[in-house]
Amino acid sequence: MRILFAGDEQPYSAYALKEAAKLAMNTWADMTLLGIQPGGGAAAAVDPALNLALTRYRESFLNAWEGEDSPYAMTNWQYEWLPVKEGVLEEKLVCRGSKKDFKVRLRLGNVAAGILAEAREGGGDLIVLGCSRSGGSQWAGSPGVPQKVAADAECSVLLVKEEQPITRILACLDQTHVSQSSLEILNQMVTLHGAQLEVIGLNPEGGLKKEVYTRLIEVGDYYQERNIKVTTRITEIADFENFIAKETQQDLLALWMGKKSLLQRFFPRDWVGRFVAKSQTSVMVMR
Amino acid sequence: MPKQILIVDDEKIVCDMAQRILTQEGYDVEAFIDSTQALDRIRNKQFDLVVTDLKMENVDGMAILKEVNQLYPDTKVIMLTAYATLDAAIEAIRERIFDFFPKPVKIEDLKRSVKKALGS
Repeated sequence: MRILFAGDEQPYSAYALKEAAKLAMNTWADMTLLGIQPGGGAAAAVDPALNLALTRYRESFLNAWEGEDSPYAMTNWQYEWLPVKEGVLEEKLVCRGSKKDFKVRLRLGNVAAGILAEAREGGGDLIVLGCSRSGGSQWAGSPGVPQKVAADAECSVLLVKEEQPITRILACLDQTHVSQSSLEILNQMVTLHGAQLEVIGLNPEGGLKKEVYTRLIEVGDYYQERNIKVTTRITEIADFENFIAKETQQDLLALWMGKKSLLQRFFPRDWVGRFVAKSQTSVMVMR
Repeated sequence: MPKQILIVDDEKIVCDMAQRILTQEGYDVEAFIDSTQALDRIRNKQFDLVVTDLKMENVDGMAILKEVNQLYPDTKVIMLTAYATLDAAIEAIRERIFDFFPKPVKIEDLKRSVKKALGS
């Protein structure tokens, strides 16, 4: 599993890092911490505030493990010849040997595009990022970043809105595409938070399609077989926005995304972004 | 001589897939869906690498790991798990495991880890 954490210097990013670290500890994920500096130019100086934030995130992530218990611990120091420029090699002391990859990266340019590109190029399975709880889920100074990342990523996305206990996970299904990876990520979140799991079928006008209903039952059975207590229910798709605003308090709202999403037909324009902005709690978009 | 790998997973599809892929990579692979049989085989033959599921009936992956560590300290172990059990990852590393993957495992990730484990 590969987790991409994207962070800026705001407090919500520190909360999001804690979630990413918990997931990484339980899955031995390959991990990338990414900072994005708006603007361009290959030789641009690193913004001191962002540099400091990334340093803290690195220390905080690596210190979450106790010494030898870390799959990211570097144990194998060795001299290697590395190219320094065309035709010149230098013998440098490098450290290899960690069981899992750990990288800290900085990209320059558009924030959402940078996060999406890093996830795509690095083969990410999950993007974790924080965003403000109030004011429509924003990243400071970069409007629409969480919405764009959640809507356009090819992998699952966890948007952490604030440090708060997650006591219930509401996983919403409106179509039949449910990947194995999404089931496992949800499984991890339920286990890590000791949360109740509620799988909700979204009912369009005219009733839930038989195949979606069947998939809803299958998802419920999948978790029951793993000794996870799960309840299922059906709610009207027309009431979904109200449901999100009213029901989600100490919850994680999880949405299964598929090409045949009814929500997309019901709310055709940027529906993912709309729900991300509307929800007062953390959101996970599963692919 | 090709490196010797033992795979044990009670999901036949995982077992078959891993055996096929690693055989294609040039390793000598024995696969078991019955963990008791796998444990018997381990007691009779040293492998370079053992790939084991965590949760299995009869003998679980942690017991396989402990047995391998006791009998053959040089044999590497990679563990797979479909269960998000808390602390399994921590316990695994304390038992000197080489790598740990939650399922579903990407083929490329498994191949990369095996290559790293066997130094090939």
